[in-house]
Amino acid sequence: MDLLISLIINGLATGMLIFLLAAGLTLIFGLMDVLNFSHGGLFVWGAYTGVFTYIITESFIVGIMVAILTGMVLGFLMEKLIITPVYGNHVQQILITLGFMLVLQEMIKVVFGPNAIPVKVPDYLAGSWEMGEVIIIKYRIFIIVVGFIVFGVFHYILTHTKIGLIVRAGVMNKEMVQALGINIKKVFLFVFMTGAALAAIGGMLMAPYSGSIYAEMGMEFAILGFIVVVIGGMGSFSGSLLAAILVGLAGSFMAYYIPFLSLAVNMILMAIVLIFRPQGLFRMAKE
Amino acid sequence: MMESLLKLHNIQTHIGQFHILQGIQFEARVGEVSVLLGRNGAGKTTTLKTIMGLTPASSGSITFLNEEISKKPTYEIANTGIGYVPEDQGIFAQLTVEENIKVAMRKETSEAFERQEYVLTLFPDLKKFWKKAGGNLSGGQKQMLAMARAFVNDSKLLLIDEPSKGLAPIVVEKVMEAIMEMKKRTTIVLVEQNFFMASRIGDTFTLIDDGRTVHTGAMNELISDDAMKHKYLGIG
Amino acid sequence: MKTSNLVSKYHVLFLIILLFLIAFPFVADSRTLTILFTQIFIFSILAMSYDILLGYTGIVSFGHAMFFGIGAYATAILLNTFEPTIGVFIGSIAVGIVLSGFVSFLVGLLTLRLKSHFFAMLTLAISGLLLVVAEKWRTVTKGNDGFTFRAPDIFKDRIVFYFCVLACLVIVFLILRRFVQSPLGRLLIAVRENEQRTRSLGFKTLHYKVIASVVAGVIASLAGSLYAVSLRFVNTSVMAMDITLDALLMTIIGGVGTLVGPIVGSVVIEFAQHYLSGLARDFPIFERWIIFFGIIYILAVIFFPKGIVGSILQALSKWKSKHEDRKIFALEKDKEHSP
Repeated sequence: MDLLISLIINGLATGMLIFLLAAGLTLIFGLMDVLNFSHGGLFVWGAYTGVFTYIITESFIVGIMVAILTGMVLGFLMEKLIITPVYGNHVQQILITLGFMLVLQEMIKVVFGPNAIPVKVPDYLAGSWEMGEVIIIKYRIFIIVVGFIVFGVFHYILTHTKIGLIVRAGVMNKEMVQALGINIKKVFLFVFMTGAALAAIGGMLMAPYSGSIYAEMGMEFAILGFIVVVIGGMGSFSGSLLAAILVGLAGSFMAYYIPFLSLAVNMILMAIVLIFRPQGLFRMAKE
Repeated sequence: MMESLLKLHNIQTHIGQFHILQGIQFEARVGEVSVLLGRNGAGKTTTLKTIMGLTPASSGSITFLNEEISKKPTYEIANTGIGYVPEDQGIFAQLTVEENIKVAMRKETSEAFERQEYVLTLFPDLKKFWKKAGGNLSGGQKQMLAMARAFVNDSKLLLIDEPSKGLAPIVVEKVMEAIMEMKKRTTIVLVEQNFFMASRIGDTFTLIDDGRTVHTGAMNELISDDAMKHKYLGIG
Repeated sequence: MKTSNLVSKYHVLFLIILLFLIAFPFVADSRTLTILFTQIFIFSILAMSYDILLGYTGIVSFGHAMFFGIGAYATAILLNTFEPTIGVFIGSIAVGIVLSGFVSFLVGLLTLRLKSHFFAMLTLAISGLLLVVAEKWRTVTKGNDGFTFRAPDIFKDRIVFYFCVLACLVIVFLILRRFVQSPLGRLLIAVRENEQRTRSLGFKTLHYKVIASVVAGVIASLAGSLYAVSLRFVNTSVMAMDITLDALLMTIIGGVGTLVGPIVGSVVIEFAQHYLSGLARDFPIFERWIIFFGIIYILAVIFFPKGIVGSILQALSKWKSKHEDRKIFALEKDKEHSP
């Protein structure tokens, strides 16, 4: 029982981190038909800038703020410099965003050095609760809570505000949104920067969870993010949460019971979804 | 003669390598219903899309309110005061009727809500299904929603693409009445295959064949010209 | 007449380059350069195989390294297990090719029906998976530490190996050129230009895409086998993303869809890499040479999508048509003046 609970908590926490990365990815894809292979770069840049600030100021909160800021600035630059010039050309898009991913990853090594950097959990989130046999690590609960709050806030924005309405309408039919007098490019920039900020938060939260950060973690998590986007259905925000939890749980259980299969299981899941249900598990077919 | 609102001059449009429009011209005057007629594939729908900037013209001019709009992006064209009802209605399937209208409403002013109320009296069905997802509406209701959406903004011109397509005759009647009603408050350019409907609500007509304007004039002329109807529309 | 004239001009150019490359190891007595050239030939083979996918069929694969890796491991493991003879070496190439052919067939069949995004993503994932397998399956691969092995004695002489690789390059080039000029190759180009239309003409585009992916996979495996022997060492880096990126970079910078382009690209990239890593001793920033390549690559995709060879060809044909125009113009003028 205690094992079960800790595996579930583990899986949920990892799932939330992937969700933060995948949420932006899925909305950007749904809205503009752009699959951003450099999204993982935002994750890792968020982590590094946030952690550095955290180390210098000794404030985790300020670190998160800086990570968000980094995400938005990088998101802005990325959209303007990398995405816009090749908009509508899939092959060029794939090539260029992957190239930018590499540049971002290598820049990390130039700016922050090539070695992994250890990160500690802030004092007030360190430690664990003991409930009988069960040990619950506080920081994991913190990640889960933050994940659900982010989901709640964005779900509210998407369903209850004008801009959210426009984003959802844009995912369904972007030509019509423009014909109604809305500048979809502005909407897209907004979504892109928001998605970038979410990925950056994900990276920052990831840092104390895994204990250290390194340049390649962006690409590693981005692959999980892609898997989640595929399983959840491209463009589906709620779908990406469910899929992220699924992937997180699958990873955590497999890592315990069949470690060899832990990465494979998600890949296989994605392959099956792509082959039999390409619109995603949690999404109705586009009308 | 009434004031000209929209004027197309020698419009050429390419889609990919295909030269779809090869010289479209016509004029829509304030308060009139101008009908674009022609066979399937003649270029009527592309003409509307070109006005909206969805398939931008490669040459020629489009003036609206004495302003050249052919080089503007779609959203700016819409904001100059043109409402668009596409052939497939372009309903946001997973948004409710209310949300569909809300997305369209650019400024939530009292005047806009007054227009919304007005349009809901024209289409009481929409009020009935206010919270229903757009994708679950019937064909006729979708058409009404699309028209309502174009109308809630203070549009000086409505472009409506084949509103009668695929609808039962009794629904067509309703849609037609609504267009007549809207005509009192705005100018309309209508693409219509249904000649009976076109002839009843149109003031002027423009015949399009193979991407070119071949004739334009008052609707009465066309109604009495059986030879032209036969040649270009295959009727009469 | 014009075209045959053109072709023979190119033939002469190729022959001159080939003669230069044959004479090179005897003239320039430089071990470093011989090794560098061998490396260039190997990566030219890999990049050409990538060009079949990217340039001719319009598919972006992020998993090409897996075939390179399969070839490298097949050769390394077999040479290590059995006697390091030429026979085993050739056999190991065959094993690598069969394995790669099978894997690329399977992967292609499963993934090529998907849209480009998904395909790129899935190939990235599958090759990532294979990399993990290679890392975890330590009894066979020795994981990330890798292992050294003995190459056939005859390859101890660098020059012999140089010629062996050069021969492979020429043969692969000729085969692939035949391939892309065959009706099948034309069909691949049609798929690249407009898959929908090709399909509506009654061609099963999936079949052709799978064929392209098998051809590319098999050739990449050959390059991997040669690579392993050139180092006499193998570790998991042969399956890493970097290999795919190298191939991608060489193809893009050299010029997609030209076959010659990837060769030019690999010359440029390998030389640049060689000199930049030399510079790194004095300027540490050059250790991160991939940043420079990344930036150049991004700029190339935006501003220079035809690459070096593509741009030269374009400029040539432009110049030629201008030239011809002028000739016609002159002729017409003559006519006007003649009474």
